[in-house]
Amino acid sequence: MPIAATYSEEELVMLLKQQSRDAFNYLYRQYSAVLYGIVNKVVYDEQIAQDVLQEVFVKIWHNIPQYNPEKGRIYTWMINIARNAAIDKLRSKGEIMKSKIQTGEDVVNNVQLGMKTEQSTDAIGLKKIVSELKPEYQTIVNLAYFKGYTLDEISKTLEIPLGTVKTRMRSAINLLRQKFNN
Amino acid sequence: MNIQEYIESGILEAYILGALSAEEHVEVAANIAMYPELTTEVAAIEAAMQRFAESNAEQPPVHMEEQIWQALNKDNQLQTSPTVQKTQTKTIVLPRQAHDVQWQRAAIWIALVGSLATNYILWNQKSQSDQQVAVAKSQTDSMQVQQQRLTATVASFQKVKDMMADTSMQTIVMQTVIKDKPMAATVYWSKVKGDTYLMVDKMPMPPAGKQYQMWMIKDGKPVDMGVIPNDMIASVNGMNKLPISATGSQAFAISLEKEGGNPTPTQVCVLGKVAAI
Repeated sequence: MPIAATYSEEELVMLLKQQSRDAFNYLYRQYSAVLYGIVNKVVYDEQIAQDVLQEVFVKIWHNIPQYNPEKGRIYTWMINIARNAAIDKLRSKGEIMKSKIQTGEDVVNNVQLGMKTEQSTDAIGLKKIVSELKPEYQTIVNLAYFKGYTLDEISKTLEIPLGTVKTRMRSAINLLRQKFNN
Repeated sequence: MNIQEYIESGILEAYILGALSAEEHVEVAANIAMYPELTTEVAAIEAAMQRFAESNAEQPPVHMEEQIWQALNKDNQLQTSPTVQKTQTKTIVLPRQAHDVQWQRAAIWIALVGSLATNYILWNQKSQSDQQVAVAKSQTDSMQVQQQRLTATVASFQKVKDMMADTSMQTIVMQTVIKDKPMAATVYWSKVKGDTYLMVDKMPMPPAGKQYQMWMIKDGKPVDMGVIPNDMIASVNGMNKLPISATGSQAFAISLEKEGGNPTPTQVCVLGKVAAI
């Protein structure tokens, strides 16, 4: 398969199954920034993030034969591999990392600090949209998405009722949906 | 389930964000599979979260691309390293064979045990079906016997029908002449043709060395109609045509005589007079 600029999901799966250098180049060029961004957001340590990113690519590379298109998009599959690998690492680091994410405020602050490295213009535009979200919305989404918190844990950490956590989650993502679509 | 309320609750967002407990996660996944509206909603949430992930994109350091590629190859080499195979080939040979022999032994045992088990099962099945065949055969046999009896019965009914259709047929009931010994037999007699049928209604089997003998009374004298075979006595209600035809009979009688019969009756048992028509 010759290397094109972009591939459909099905083509990408076929390409990855070739396990060629070209396939890797495409995968890396296309997805490394998103995956690294997620991992870095979770572990909040560049050295650890790099280790985890390598783990994530090894997992994608070796597990591609087990990927099942019926269970969801390959993009989502890869993102989830990155999130899970990073969150696992975070948990294995235990208390050290926990101290960094003790409160929602910290997470919000960290989100802003995370804007230091080079990004595509597209990502900057999206980041702007996300930054327009109310802080309490951002916090809830970040805790769940990047820290692997359950509803219960978020409710206890932020001291807000469980139902409110859920409805805020809905409102936050609804706003994102509206803005991304515009 | 109210779909709209379910969607508005935010549980689908929690599902995509991975914030549900394992139990809830399975439950929501089941609901999504069941309701197409939920599938659509989940796809939209997922798309939003992808954009959200993209909004956090960060270029990893430049050296990472080569480092990761090396890591992937190193991983692949470990899995299929040719040098490792070469050095191990010679040392592996013997244990491998031993291993093979073990496997062969195991295979033979498995085959043997399997074969014995199969034999036992087949033998069991065979003896079962043998039993079934025997049962079926005895059933067939008893059905054949029944059928023969039925054929005989039908034949005798046929005879009775023919007899009854004969307008000249007379019925003579012979009754006991010995006090306190109820006995009876019936003669069907065609005065015109001389055909005589005997039906034993109630007669005890004759004692050993004795036989019943049939008589007709003609002109006031007994005329021998032959001895009655014992099996005729045994077959109650059996209709039997007597071999001798009777003409001008005034009465019929059965007497008990010595085996083979007597020229004249010595002990009359039953007697019936022919009604004058």
